[in-house]
Amino acid sequence: MTEKTLQEVRKLPPCRAACPAHVNVQAYVALIQRGKFKEAVEVIRKDLPFPAICGRVCFSPCEDACARVNLDQAVAVRALKRLVADIEREHGRVSAEPVPKKYSDKVAIIGAGPAGLTAAYELAKLGYPVTVFERMAEPGGMMRYCIPDFRLEKFVVANEIAYIKDLGVEIKTGVEFGKDITIESLKKDGYKAVFIAIGTQLGMRLNVPGEDLEGVVNAVDFLRTIALGKQITIGERVAVIGGGNTAIDAARTVKKLGAKEVMILYRRSREEMPALPHEVELAEKDGIKFHFLVAPKQIIGENGRVKAVECLRMRLGEPDESGRRRPIPIAFSEHQYEVDMVIPALGQVAETSSLPPELLSKEKRGPPVQVDPLTMETNVSGVFAGGDIATGPASIIEAVGAGKRAAVSIHRFLTGQDLRKDRDEEKIEETTWVKDWRLLEKKKRRYDAPIEKPHLSFEEARGYLEKLKQKARFEAFRCLGCGPCAECLASMDLCEGDKAVVDEAKCVGCNVCAVICPVEAIKKNEKGVAQVNEDLCRGCGLCAARCPEQAITMKKLSNEQILAMVSAALKG
Amino acid sequence: MESNPPKIVCFMCNWAFCEEEMHVPYNVNIVRVMCVGRMDPALVLETFANGADGVMLAGCKPPDCHFVDGNLHSERAVKMLKKLLVLTGLGAERVKLLLVSPMEDKGFGYYAKEFSEEIWNLGDCPLKKAELASTIKANIDAAKNAASAFRLRVLLGREEELTEFMNAYGEKISEEEFDALLDEIVEAEFIRYKIYHLTKAKPCSVKELAETMGIKPSAVLRHITNMRRKGMIALDRVEGYTPLYKALEVR
Repeated sequence: MTEKTLQEVRKLPPCRAACPAHVNVQAYVALIQRGKFKEAVEVIRKDLPFPAICGRVCFSPCEDACARVNLDQAVAVRALKRLVADIEREHGRVSAEPVPKKYSDKVAIIGAGPAGLTAAYELAKLGYPVTVFERMAEPGGMMRYCIPDFRLEKFVVANEIAYIKDLGVEIKTGVEFGKDITIESLKKDGYKAVFIAIGTQLGMRLNVPGEDLEGVVNAVDFLRTIALGKQITIGERVAVIGGGNTAIDAARTVKKLGAKEVMILYRRSREEMPALPHEVELAEKDGIKFHFLVAPKQIIGENGRVKAVECLRMRLGEPDESGRRRPIPIAFSEHQYEVDMVIPALGQVAETSSLPPELLSKEKRGPPVQVDPLTMETNVSGVFAGGDIATGPASIIEAVGAGKRAAVSIHRFLTGQDLRKDRDEEKIEETTWVKDWRLLEKKKRRYDAPIEKPHLSFEEARGYLEKLKQKARFEAFRCLGCGPCAECLASMDLCEGDKAVVDEAKCVGCNVCAVICPVEAIKKNEKGVAQVNEDLCRGCGLCAARCPEQAITMKKLSNEQILAMVSAALKG
Repeated sequence: MESNPPKIVCFMCNWAFCEEEMHVPYNVNIVRVMCVGRMDPALVLETFANGADGVMLAGCKPPDCHFVDGNLHSERAVKMLKKLLVLTGLGAERVKLLLVSPMEDKGFGYYAKEFSEEIWNLGDCPLKKAELASTIKANIDAAKNAASAFRLRVLLGREEELTEFMNAYGEKISEEEFDALLDEIVEAEFIRYKIYHLTKAKPCSVKELAETMGIKPSAVLRHITNMRRKGMIALDRVEGYTPLYKALEVR
């Protein structure tokens, strides 16, 4: 059986449907259950070039969609991904074979962030010569320069990028788009398609008086300076403004660097915070104070340095277009926080100066480059754009999804196919069986990947790893496998395409099979005969074991087959 | 204790244990199936007929089943199977349902060894004893037929519906009631097929049948009346005052 492409498989389990990159979650969790860690990483790599990175910092929409929440808690998908990726790296990754270049059309990708690297990865796998241009000294984009080391180690990023390089992708660093290269110069150099994924690099401004005082450092600039290993003066009392992951990262970084008191000022309440709840908890553990429902009115300075932030209290009004409740300032509620450093972390905007004017969107609001959300093409032929630059600041996994879509489009563009044919995202169907939760008893098990490595001797480390693996398998067993067959390719010899077949001449329409089928794949049709829905049938054979007239057999594991296996076993 | 270890077949759920980590005694043969619920009781009986001394069904612990409740379905099936094994004379201990999580401290090897020893202590399989072989063989055939009987399988298939929810008349059957019902039907079906096989060989009278099977003639007659109505058996001839019955070639 060859693996089906996403275009063919429309029915996906909720976790895979929820993932912007449609990573085959059910499959790798099933592989972890069976202790096949290496194969699990390979399954992840089919859809996602960053298993270890996403295992650390993904906001895991798969876990939010997990059907297990109806029972107790979602399966800890991200932690599992992290563990398998880490085990692979610790064991020493076998470097990928370079993919032979099947096509001669060169593709240029601008920006070595998650979107650009994913597009390069996908195109290299197809056999295109791909060159990635990056302005900074190291590839990785925000993954390398904005996420602090304690959340995402640099060597992890380097390792994942090394894998992409192994496939034959060329990464040129220190090349600035708009200055060293332009779309015209790239076309002149023989690049047939260009993918712009430069992201959003500038921190958004607060737009309050006193923002230019000494001691006000934007979170993105602050984190980038730290990541570059440069010195930066840290205040004693620091206020971080904003409620996203960047705000938490900046606050935790500044605390770890030695600030005495760090507070986060957020204009909404805790429920509306876009940061990951887990990260918020960790920040609290680090001793960071949270002040909710406050917004800065001005930054007060003394001798050109920050002295205090003056804030207004807020109350929450009606939900706005983002679905969160809009904060409304309360009049005469000014109060001050004595600080000597302010880190605004309100979000990012793109540097539009490097982009050619014909690409820029006419609208003031929204992302600077308008693209077709399905095909990622811009209004210039042969130029595609994706990632934060086309969607506004988002997440790694969404950028990966955009990179993948762009890679498909570029491949179709270069081979002269229709870009839009059979690509409707909406057609992807979330399919689960989950029939009756009462049948399953409640059971609580929660698994968290260990954050810090213990100091162990070699012998102890071995046992520790085994324990970790065992724990991970334990967690993976919580997966209900609620989608159709995951095509994990784990036990092909046994379950490949095993489906129930009904002998219509024998069927009396007693409905026993429909009652017993756990996935509701078999039903009486209008003729009063049982009919198998092959999309849902998972080949368990319960119906074959119970059919009163023995009208149901299995395609592969029929009664005769089982008996043949028995007699072979008894003879041997 | 005899010298040869017993031959054991283990039908194991595809998802239950990982091959690499199992330490299986060499006399235990593993046959992988998709789910323990897949195991038709008739197939297990056939395995005994093929010469297995013991059969083990290994599956996942209840909340872990890949097919929601396949393992729970197997629980009831094994109950019925045990009853049938008692009737055939093999003994209920020869089959064991093992629903454990692979994450437990004790591996599959532990349970396999334990079961193997249990079977060993039971002694030789009655099927291997020359004086019993033919009777047991006939009994297994009858049991196999009984396990495939429409009435029994409908009851078994609708078990969940009847005990968890309600029947068509809005009644809920308790587990105990259901078990009692199942026992009754298993026994009745087994006796009927036994009669069927005996009368197929040669026409028999009620008294003869009652003697061979060791049950009351009145019970035999009740079953015969039922079977005549179903067209499984017919009156062959009357010898003196004794009617002899013969099986019909129907099923």
